[in-house]
Amino acid sequence: MNFLETVREPVKFDMTPMIDVVFLMIIFFVCIDFRVLESKLPAFMPKDKGSRTTVVEPQEQLVVRVHPATPGTPVYAPGAGPDRLDPETRRPFRFQLQGHQVRWEVGPRSFEDQQALLAELRRIAEDPESQVPDKATGRTKLIPVVVEAMPGTYYADVAQTMDACHEAGLREINFGGSAGTRR
Amino acid sequence: MHKDVLQILQKDVELDMTPMIDCVFLLMIFFALVVDISQKNLEDLVLPRATFRQLDDKPAEHRPILNVLQDGSVVHNQIVVYDPKRHGDDFEPVRALLRSLRQAGLSQKKLALEADDGSGRLRDPILIRADKWTEWHFVAAVMQQCNLRDIGFWKVELALSEIDRELPGTGPAGGRK
Repeated sequence: MNFLETVREPVKFDMTPMIDVVFLMIIFFVCIDFRVLESKLPAFMPKDKGSRTTVVEPQEQLVVRVHPATPGTPVYAPGAGPDRLDPETRRPFRFQLQGHQVRWEVGPRSFEDQQALLAELRRIAEDPESQVPDKATGRTKLIPVVVEAMPGTYYADVAQTMDACHEAGLREINFGGSAGTRR
Repeated sequence: MHKDVLQILQKDVELDMTPMIDCVFLLMIFFALVVDISQKNLEDLVLPRATFRQLDDKPAEHRPILNVLQDGSVVHNQIVVYDPKRHGDDFEPVRALLRSLRQAGLSQKKLALEADDGSGRLRDPILIRADKWTEWHFVAAVMQQCNLRDIGFWKVELALSEIDRELPGTGPAGGRK
């Protein structure tokens, strides 16, 4: 009889482990910085520079030049400014460039709009004359593109240009010239 | 015998929480460290958005990462290697870093050479992350250093983003003209 009474005693539900686990999950998700998964565009540097001494035959290529059309105005967040460090990150304050525009040159033609550039690149990609010999396979391939970004252009401009090239089907993209390496 | 069993059952059984709390703390420390280590190389940059890109979901384990800030500073592992105001056109600090990365990577077999021609070029890529409003000549200069003969990082990956953090809600067509 005593045994049965003991067994029928109300069982206390211990919430402690569940609360601990919940706290653990809260702390974990708070600690994680919800970064957007990054992407990448692979680019190959010219093989004939620096690493090789052999003479490389010239290859036909499509040059896309990026020129700054409107420089744009750097805009800082309130309380921030140029030549100052962000006390939190100990890095210079970041700015947004507003009103910046570029134009592209493909051969003799100039484009101020990415859609117009894309249309021209598509036209070139579809042109049978854009097929060039591929020494690696002995067949033909689509003409490689060389992106030449002029001083005053930004990483976003080059990414936009590469994006248009990829969208047009031009996948072999190189970076040419040294014009973009000086202000 | 019956009395002994009853005495045992009637005892207050206390649950010892100590091991569980220990485990919780260990897990917290583990995750805090893992999160810190995995993002140590990544500066807080606003990357440009692109439609055509490869997801960087399975990066090479020992891929070197260089960050180029808006002012042209080159940061590796949270250390400013090159500051344009201090170094000007002298990219030797970047070259020295790349040489040491190459040497350490090859000696520890974390990086490998291209096998085809003995040119000294590396098979493994290097990731360059730059803010979308970093002037291109800074990025180009870093790329040039990567491709030097005694460095040999000829495969460069340029970091992009799926969204433009400056333009929340950016659609697939992109935010800028």
